[in-house]
Amino acid sequence: MQNFAQLLIGGISLGAVYALLALGFVLVFKATGVINFAYPALLLVGAYTTARAGELPLPVAAILGICAAVVIAALVDRVLVRRMRGGSVIAVSIMTIGVGVLLQTEIIRRIGIDVLPIGDPWGSGVVTLGGLTIPQTRIAALVVGLALIACFFAWFKFSVWGVAMRATAEDHETAALMGIPGGRISAASWAVAGGLAAVAGLFVTMFPSPGLEPTTSAVALRAFPAAIIGGLDSTGGAVVGGLVIGVTEVLTQGYEGHLTFLGLGFHAVMPYLVMVLVLLVRPTGLFGTRELHRV
Amino acid sequence: MNRTSTAFALSVDLVTVRFAGVTALDEVSFDVRAGAIHALIGPNGAGKSTLFNVLSAVYRPVSGAVHFCGLDLTRLRPHEIAALGVARTFQNIALLPEATVRENLLLGRHHLTRTGFVSSGLRAARSGREWRLHCERVSEIADFVGIADKLEHPVGALSYGDQKRVEMARALCVEPRLLLLDEPAAGMNANETARMAHLIRDVRNSLDIPILLVEHDMGLVMGIADRVTVLDFGRCIADGSPEEVQLDPEVLRAYLGTEDSARSELQA
Amino acid sequence: MSRSISPAVIGKLALAAVLLVMPFYLDAFWLQLGLFAFATAVAALGLTLLLGQAGMLSLGHAFFVAVGAYGYAYFASDPHTAGNDHLGLGLPPLVAAVLAVAVAGLAGLLFSPIAARLRGIYLGVASLGLVFLGLHVLVNAERLTGGVNGRDVPAFTLPGFAFEEDPGHTLYVLGVPFHREERLWYLALAVTVAALIYYRGVVRGRPGRALRAIRDHEVAAAAMGVNVASYKARAFVIGSMYAGVGGVLLALAFRRMVPETFGVALSIEYLAMVVIGGLGSAGGAVFGALFVTSLPAVLERYAAQVPGVAPSGSGGITPAIAARFAYGAAIVLILLFEPGGVAALARRLRRHPPPASPEAAVVIDADQALSRSSN
Repeated sequence: MQNFAQLLIGGISLGAVYALLALGFVLVFKATGVINFAYPALLLVGAYTTARAGELPLPVAAILGICAAVVIAALVDRVLVRRMRGGSVIAVSIMTIGVGVLLQTEIIRRIGIDVLPIGDPWGSGVVTLGGLTIPQTRIAALVVGLALIACFFAWFKFSVWGVAMRATAEDHETAALMGIPGGRISAASWAVAGGLAAVAGLFVTMFPSPGLEPTTSAVALRAFPAAIIGGLDSTGGAVVGGLVIGVTEVLTQGYEGHLTFLGLGFHAVMPYLVMVLVLLVRPTGLFGTRELHRV
Repeated sequence: MNRTSTAFALSVDLVTVRFAGVTALDEVSFDVRAGAIHALIGPNGAGKSTLFNVLSAVYRPVSGAVHFCGLDLTRLRPHEIAALGVARTFQNIALLPEATVRENLLLGRHHLTRTGFVSSGLRAARSGREWRLHCERVSEIADFVGIADKLEHPVGALSYGDQKRVEMARALCVEPRLLLLDEPAAGMNANETARMAHLIRDVRNSLDIPILLVEHDMGLVMGIADRVTVLDFGRCIADGSPEEVQLDPEVLRAYLGTEDSARSELQA
Repeated sequence: MSRSISPAVIGKLALAAVLLVMPFYLDAFWLQLGLFAFATAVAALGLTLLLGQAGMLSLGHAFFVAVGAYGYAYFASDPHTAGNDHLGLGLPPLVAAVLAVAVAGLAGLLFSPIAARLRGIYLGVASLGLVFLGLHVLVNAERLTGGVNGRDVPAFTLPGFAFEEDPGHTLYVLGVPFHREERLWYLALAVTVAALIYYRGVVRGRPGRALRAIRDHEVAAAAMGVNVASYKARAFVIGSMYAGVGGVLLALAFRRMVPETFGVALSIEYLAMVVIGGLGSAGGAVFGALFVTSLPAVLERYAAQVPGVAPSGSGGITPAIAARFAYGAAIVLILLFEPGGVAALARRLRRHPPPASPEAAVVIDADQALSRSSN
């Protein structure tokens, strides 16, 4: 039982990180209708920059990483996405596949076969709560994750940008007619997405993995099932999806000893399995809009 | 409700559709008689397109039924409805712009043909023969509709009016027993509208099938419709001959608020 | 009515002649590359059918290729001679190949209800899950797959003719030694041509029409009598069988399979191929396959002459990495300037004056010849 509670907390902690990740992905989709296939690469950009700024204290390196991801994301929007404005979002989405390939190839080339440590300030410190031993990093991830999620929703709901984005997501033609600058909304959504990906990347490479390595890209991909489970156009759903993925992943990994018949490393498949199960019942995710056919 | 014949008539019974908290259709009932041109009119948002989508099984009503050929259309899937001989056109042209007119029309023959993945890939003789027969019929229909000279053109290159005609032709390729026309004259000028009106009448006269059309153009409606049903806010507020409906105070109120100005509008 | 032979037909005949004659002139490196390209082209055809014709985004193509490849290895391996204690049924290679494709189709069939129900990126990510599932099985089911180290693939033989060489006995055709690559070349060529013919037949006929209608106006397609769910499911099965055939050819070409090959990167590569080539176009799929498969090998071979490319293992831009940059950039450029891909570019060049460019929507009609060469 103790083990379960520990795993659960670890899962929620990881889930909060995945939630941040999914939020960025969903944000771009909601604001622009574009499926950002380059998104996992943005995570790698942020994590790589932080890792390479090794000499600097972690908070500074982290901010550098976030800035790098934000800048690259904004550049992609400004230079490439903007040029395709007026065309189909499917075309833009497929274009981001190419961008993702380019970014990811370069980052993975630089990582090589190394593992780049990010520098975990909490190290192996643990906190004991009510008989449970929880690594400090996990608590930090949980706290930061939840705080950022709360900030995000506050911003999304109350700030001028947030309202403008929601308006654009709701009905982009009317929003444009109302004077909301679609181009800036797109840029802002990409920038925020880059930032969220970078933060998530930080935590994902900090603990429990030893650092940034080529396999991190597979972890970054989990933004997709997390966002899909919640429903691609639901920010609340992104949080739920992230939590679901995090919890199932940690639980599956934790109980791997009991599940040997499934083989080692099944936790990599788990998010997708859960996602397919959800989609069987709800083809557009838990909170996604059921498509109404327009004829 | 009187029905002169049951075999080819459409009967809409107490159809109710609700989504996102809005009641789009509220116990709508009316009958389409065999061989009649029946118009469905009403202000914007009245539920006309919703009803069409119920008839094509795009939406499922919360309650009610639609009877055609002894079956309840609301219990069928869209492709089964087409197999019954219910064909429709779409308000926003639903053609493939890169394909030729002929290719688009051949889609209408889908439920009448059988070539599948195996026989088409293996070039079974059947698929060639079948193709020729249906091509001839497609040419006939294209000729009837007036687009025969454009058969090999990509649809995207055609004028809007011609594209609307292609939509109509494709629906005819289904060999329909009931034709649903969703705003066939939308966006057309007076000339094209008149042409479309003639075409609709010609279709009814030569095929003798009931035609249900949604329209905003009152001239077209009053000119060719045998019966008119009026919807407003999802409810059926009038049903009768064009003349009766024109004078119905409910209808006038729904459209224009006051009786007098509306009456003169509708009689224009 | 007499028909003059169109340039297109002459072009195809010339191409066929060249392909038939190539093994007499090319060395093993190019022939092996050709085998790889044929295998990939067949698999790419399946994806362009799914995505280009039916509008179904599958990111799981690598999974079905793996099923074909490992399936062949399993069905054809004789457990007594295979060594490493791997499982195998020891069936005749031709039977094994057919069964492997059937199993790939079966896998597609099992997933098809999901494929029929989901749309767009939802289907994309769901199919992505298949890749992870596949990798997981490939790594863990060691007796079946050889685990991380992979397993060998038995040679292909037809009754009376061996495709693998008999040491000490060289087959000569018209004075040219026919080793393994030469023999397999004709097999792969025949399979690819058959795959193309079948594809054309489906795409030009009733099923292709139905799929394109589903892609562009699903509601209208249903209203015209198309059983949308059934067609989507069937398209998915066909697509997965194409992938399976590609997988078998891959296995034969490389004689050894490792799980690493069949990851997400491979699925993305297939996507790149069909996008670069032009969605829905058969020629485009083949071109895209050729482009993406040959780049790394060609860059490797000529690494010395290409500036900026360092040999593998040196830490610089290796040929494999340079190739990735190339096709990543190709995707971006294609989408920016000609979303219809190379196929659309080719169409533009063939027409004078060039037609209005297709709308930015990436989906295009297959084979413009459809509208011209029909009766």
